[in-house]
Amino acid sequence: MTGSSISLQVLHQLITATMPQDMPPTGGYAQVQYKRNLPARGFKPGYYMIGMHLIMAYGFYKYFHGVREQRELAREKMWSRLHLTPLLQAEEDRDQVRRYYADKAREKELLGTESKIYNSDRFVRPTFAYTPSNLTQ
Amino acid sequence: MSQREARFNQTVLVDTTPMPDHIPKVEEIGATSAPLMSAAYFIGDRCKAFNDDFMKCKDEANGRGEIDCLKEGRKVTRCAASVIKDINTHCLDQFKAHWECLENNNHQLWECRRPEMQLNTCVFDKLGLKKTLPGAPENQVPVHLRPKQKYAQYPGPQW
Repeated sequence: MTGSSISLQVLHQLITATMPQDMPPTGGYAQVQYKRNLPARGFKPGYYMIGMHLIMAYGFYKYFHGVREQRELAREKMWSRLHLTPLLQAEEDRDQVRRYYADKAREKELLGTESKIYNSDRFVRPTFAYTPSNLTQ
Repeated sequence: MSQREARFNQTVLVDTTPMPDHIPKVEEIGATSAPLMSAAYFIGDRCKAFNDDFMKCKDEANGRGEIDCLKEGRKVTRCAASVIKDINTHCLDQFKAHWECLENNNHQLWECRRPEMQLNTCVFDKLGLKKTLPGAPENQVPVHLRPKQKYAQYPGPQW
């Protein structure tokens, strides 16, 4: 292979002189400006976390104390009612007994007999009330 | 009290037949809810024995308590009436102030601590009846003696 050929060294020199390869520019590329130089606003995130917990701790403190007071107020209300319950119940019972005897007397007057409606000794609150013919004053 | 009273929407029809003569008469308490609530703790203090007796009788009467426990019921009513009467004779002003306050405040006791305090001291001085809260935690001030009421419209010192 002699005569018509040129040596590889010569060919290389020829190519680099006429056709530059795709390579970084001399001295390298310029820096890409990706950093934003903004000042950090506010406190560190951790401080916000601590602050939130402080606020919540205060809220729970107030809440627990409020619940305790509510419990005591409920107890007070319950006992005020408990002290009155026998009184109210006695009044209601007396009213029921009065109506019961009135019913019995009415039955005696109308039918001449006294019959038991229920097969029980218990006091049964009547389902149907007697309605007087006259308006109650 | 567990059942609803029969009501008629057109006319007032109530059986007014009086109690038969063989049952002793007793005057009903005749007070409305606010005075009763105001006096509840004093009634409970003086009439505890009668109240417990009545409730025990009802409990053990096996469903016939309405008729069988009339005697105990009369004692309960007479005792409560005596408390109301005594409060009326000795502490009428304070009593009235307190129950009117309750009436105006939806029966919320914590709104009326100032009149309640005056009523309590008056009743304790004159009648010796004391308001106590059974079952309250012992390391705390009972709620009716706390000067500040968290849930009152004015939560600061009440007196």
